[in-house]
Amino acid sequence: MRKNLFKKAGAAVLGLVLAGSLLAGCGSGSSATQQGADGPQAEAVEEQAEEAVEESADAGYRTLEQIQADGKINIGVFSDKSPFGYVDENGEYQGYDVYFANRIGQDLGVEIEYVSTEAASRIEYLQTGKVDIILANFTVTPERAEEVDFALPYMNVALGVVSHDDRVIKDLSQVGEDDQIIVISGTTAETYLTKNNPEIKLQKFDTYAAAKSAFENGTGVAWANDNTEVIAFAAENEGYTVGIDSLGSADTIAPAVTKGNESLLNWLNEEIVELGKENFFHADYEATLVDTYGIEFEDTLVIEGGGN
Amino acid sequence: MQALGIDVLFKGINMQRLLGGLWISLRISLIAVAFSIVLGLVVGVLMAGDNPVIKAVSRVYLEIVRVMPQMVLLFIVFFGTTRVFGWNIEAEIASIIVFTFWGTAEMADLVRGALISIPKHQYESAAALGLEQGQIYRYIVIPQTLRRLIPLSINLVTRMIKTTSLAMMIGVVEVLKVGQQIIEANRKSSPHAAFGIYACIFVLYFAACWPISMFSKYLERKWS
Amino acid sequence: MELLRWDVMRSYLPLYRDAMFLTLRIGWAGILAAIGLGFICALIRHYKIPVLQKIVGIYIELFRNTPLLVQLFFLYFGLPKIGLDIPAEPCGVLGLALLGGAYMAETFRSGLEAVEPIQMESALSLGMTRTQAVLHVILPQAVSISVPAFVANIIFLLKETSVFSAISLMDLMFTAKDLIGLYYKTLECLTLLVVFYLIILLPVSALGSFLERRLRYAGFGD
Repeated sequence: MRKNLFKKAGAAVLGLVLAGSLLAGCGSGSSATQQGADGPQAEAVEEQAEEAVEESADAGYRTLEQIQADGKINIGVFSDKSPFGYVDENGEYQGYDVYFANRIGQDLGVEIEYVSTEAASRIEYLQTGKVDIILANFTVTPERAEEVDFALPYMNVALGVVSHDDRVIKDLSQVGEDDQIIVISGTTAETYLTKNNPEIKLQKFDTYAAAKSAFENGTGVAWANDNTEVIAFAAENEGYTVGIDSLGSADTIAPAVTKGNESLLNWLNEEIVELGKENFFHADYEATLVDTYGIEFEDTLVIEGGGN
Repeated sequence: MQALGIDVLFKGINMQRLLGGLWISLRISLIAVAFSIVLGLVVGVLMAGDNPVIKAVSRVYLEIVRVMPQMVLLFIVFFGTTRVFGWNIEAEIASIIVFTFWGTAEMADLVRGALISIPKHQYESAAALGLEQGQIYRYIVIPQTLRRLIPLSINLVTRMIKTTSLAMMIGVVEVLKVGQQIIEANRKSSPHAAFGIYACIFVLYFAACWPISMFSKYLERKWS
Repeated sequence: MELLRWDVMRSYLPLYRDAMFLTLRIGWAGILAAIGLGFICALIRHYKIPVLQKIVGIYIELFRNTPLLVQLFFLYFGLPKIGLDIPAEPCGVLGLALLGGAYMAETFRSGLEAVEPIQMESALSLGMTRTQAVLHVILPQAVSISVPAFVANIIFLLKETSVFSAISLMDLMFTAKDLIGLYYKTLECLTLLVVFYLIILLPVSALGSFLERRLRYAGFGD
């Protein structure tokens, strides 16, 4: 009796393990990737996977005409990154990026649907067509330019490192073996430190809100991010100093659209050049950033009319 | 001592926004529960049957749901399907799909359990008393099954509500994300708001789930 | 075009392996603590110890009716504002222990309740002390009745570890998200994520089914 039971149980375990390894096998198989979740539909997935990949390329974005016909544009912005993109106490999106986005909606003659995004999902949102434009403090880098199309830039940026007043980090060599630097997943700071200073331990967060709260609560010796962002943080909060205000190369920030969406890209480029004639981004700076950075940073930060 | 964020809660329409965020979570879970119950009843009845193919398929399905974190499923549906199929699924719809996929499995398992738990002799006795097949189900099986099922499926509602908090991770602006936005917008004037806001969200979730789970417990006691 | 880049996936493997160890470490530490906590709470409630019983009751309701994500946000971001600063890893363990403790307590308690009072009375009349009766008669039966729910709790808690990414613990979920953000290889990252979760959870699930079958016959009288 007992032996019999044991056998049955053994068989059941074996069955499960087999089923499991089969699943695992599918998951890493060559034909498709996601059956793990789709289970019963696994076969269908396998059949469709290959054709679908090609289709997704054209289904990925909406052209300028389509957006205007729909009467609505989806713009991905930060919702927790004051003063660039945040939501005020009345539930309205505000900030430097949002000021520009509002103008885009106005000039296109369409309604704006703001989509709250995190740093790490910006590329993903564009590639999967969940937004038409990303206007979320998006630094132009060669790696990103392979994945999305950047329009003309509207702001200068480099990396910066902010630390606590009682132990100001002025050079990355000051970061000890046991120290951690806070970065936000999917930012240029993360990429830069991963590539150039792999010995530094990074404490990664997925949202600005989380990273800032943790930094305030004493996690990490420093926080590395866009210098605009860390300067703003030190200006708005007591007890912090920007020890390194320019790290890595001088970069720019630009709107981005899905790769290949030329009609929208061209329109954006013309718009940015056109706005330069009325010094739009200076006005934007004065409306949203001047409280944080003061007037002396205006010409350092703002790029008018897409630069040269 | 700082106000710990209580002031921030009542600034502007912040409280309304938090409640609005909670409503989004509730809406996702209610829709997902409704789908889960209907689909779960069908799948559960099928699973209690004798068809070996259905049994094998449903066992694999249940096992997947059992071992895969819902968050992983969310990511797969939200990001993966667009990649592979070119479907563009909104975050909220993706959440509903995933929670329904999960809820259906849970519900089906409950239905199957409830059906199986009715002893064979009840069917036999009823038949011996001269009841027809339809009558047996109507007067004997279904009432008992429902009594076992209803408290458990109400319980599923609370679990669903709790699970919807994960939707934040794929960008649904629900109560937690609204909380983060509020904390962020008021970082300068009220640096300690995180305590008050998160405590408030904790209480909101409790207020949404606790009465429902109490009700389910009450029914369970009353009917057992 | 190739759907999955094998070389890319291979290069991610060490990161996923580390993440898996983190998930396992925090997961099991939290689960062990949850079992201990749940056990104590169940005994307190079952034997109706005054005052403590009330506190335990409130604790269980609070943590059973709120999501782990919200609990973690409160513990990790909220508490430091009143001077209670807990680093991420202990915070994850604590969160899981508190959540799991509430679930385990209910599981053990219903196990205890399922053991009929006559068993206690018989044990006492055989000359056992109360402690002996609990240890040798009640608990063994209660435990074996609880096993299916117990295993379900463990699986539930291991799955819940996926929300640790929200407090910056580099678990499997976070690693996948982070790599997607860094190198934009979504499919490869998601595939590895699924595979690694299967590696963690399938053995537990299989062991659970096995135990359930074995222990169903541990009770006597049927």
